[in-house]
Amino acid sequence: MAAQEEFFDVSRPSVRRSVVLLASGALIGLAIAGYGLFTAKGTRSHTVPPEDIALVNQRQILRSDFMTQAQTQFTLPFAQTTREQRRQVLEDMINEELMVQRGLEIDLPSYDPDVRNALVAGVELEVTADVLARQLTTEELHAYYEQHKEKYSTEGVMQLRDLLIKTDASHPTAAALETALSAVAALRRGQPLDTVINKFNLIDSGRFMDTGHVDTGDIFQFAVRAKVDDTLYQATLPLQDGEVSDPVRESDGVHIIAMVKHRFPVPQNFEAASDRVWTDVKNEAQAKVRSANLAYLRSRADIMVAPEFAQ
Amino acid sequence: MGTREHEEYPTVRTPAKSTRWRLCGFVLLIVCIVGAVPWTRQRLIAGELLRTEPAQILKNPALLSEAIRIGRPQYQRHCQSCHGSVLQGDIARGVPDLARNMWLYGNDPVDVERTILYGIRSGHPKSRNVTDMPALVRTGQITPDDARDAVEYLQSLAGEPFEQAAALRGRSVYYNKGNCYDCHANDARGITDYGSPALTGPIWLYGGDRKTLYQSILNGRHGKSPAWVNVLTPVQIRALALYLVAVPRVSVARN
Repeated sequence: MAAQEEFFDVSRPSVRRSVVLLASGALIGLAIAGYGLFTAKGTRSHTVPPEDIALVNQRQILRSDFMTQAQTQFTLPFAQTTREQRRQVLEDMINEELMVQRGLEIDLPSYDPDVRNALVAGVELEVTADVLARQLTTEELHAYYEQHKEKYSTEGVMQLRDLLIKTDASHPTAAALETALSAVAALRRGQPLDTVINKFNLIDSGRFMDTGHVDTGDIFQFAVRAKVDDTLYQATLPLQDGEVSDPVRESDGVHIIAMVKHRFPVPQNFEAASDRVWTDVKNEAQAKVRSANLAYLRSRADIMVAPEFAQ
Repeated sequence: MGTREHEEYPTVRTPAKSTRWRLCGFVLLIVCIVGAVPWTRQRLIAGELLRTEPAQILKNPALLSEAIRIGRPQYQRHCQSCHGSVLQGDIARGVPDLARNMWLYGNDPVDVERTILYGIRSGHPKSRNVTDMPALVRTGQITPDDARDAVEYLQSLAGEPFEQAAALRGRSVYYNKGNCYDCHANDARGITDYGSPALTGPIWLYGGDRKTLYQSILNGRHGKSPAWVNVLTPVQIRALALYLVAVPRVSVARN
């Protein structure tokens, strides 16, 4: 009885009362937290924030976007648009937002290729936005130009003949090489190209063709590089107008390059190349950011690959 | 027994101690109220700046001064390095002279706000990126001689000394081969939808001398401005737009 009196008498301290109140507080706290946890629907805003014109399922439509949309739609300054026009724009924007949300609800990105492409492009733009927006200094551009000077020149143009002596069992490499050396010597002595071709049975390699015929016109240097092997390309590079290369052995036979005309690439100074330098710096930075982003995404992704492709 | 309990649990406060605690609580309350007043005021002003139409704010001196108060430090912190301390721009880098009303995308505060939000060719999907100045000579659309003639034509529009025959040929380049009128307008005063500058002088984006104009036609131009949507708050962006629009008007009015 005395203990009960002590429990309810708030003017007197009571250990029992303290423990009971502490336990009750803890239980009520846990109950509220549990209720909140299991019935949570995200933070809801009951008023439209000042920067927004509307909230659609709690997704904001910015006032700024709304004003721009109204101006664009009616080609009028926003201040001159009527209430009715604004209402129409707002309805359109709400409808659009609803459609976008519905698209996400039915998981459109998982199967619509257009949406997927747009998403990929959008994410790429997002991650490279800072790189694109960064203002490059002239010093940076100069430094890049100095480091990659060899890239900046006008494109070289060649008119050439790639002549071939085929090798096979009846015409071994040694014999072909001997014929090629004789042909080269004849050309270097100044004999006409067609005469030498006929005399030594040289044929065009067929690597430089233009609509079914041998291309004897101008060919860009990058195209030459793409069409011949590196050894032959290196043999081609130093040839001046009218010069002939030494014979070059390749898998299909022995080649001779007769250079008819060669306009060599002219190195560009910084001023002439600055546009390309700017683009290259930006592209390089973008590629770096893009690959870093992919590396990060892969590092946190759970990717499982079929066993036959696992290695 | 009562005396003993009192000695063991001396927690009952004397009247003097209780008064001291109440006083502390009261002081704390006052401090909170004093601190909350400016915070609430800022919130209210921010709300009003965002909810009021930009054109109306320009007519409301009290609200405009609040916008300038918020916008000026943002300008000094984020924009001044390119646009200059008095909005004069930088002709060498093609930064427009806002102090002399050179607004490539229009000087309505709504337009300016959009430019600040999403930038120009910033990479943001909503940035202003309809077109840029193509390298007409480098891409082979016109020859170097055409470009020199076009420069003479622009000199004639700007009221500078020009060579008559070349300017006539340049006029043809402007309206035909070069397609310049398509972006810069028939009267060469520029089109804000494209952000194309006026070519009639005396204010030029990159400079109106022959050499610079030729360089623009030769190599093209692609000026940029960053997007601030993820850096500044909506109210800072609105205030900055109003600051940029209002300050040149005030300076022009004063001059």
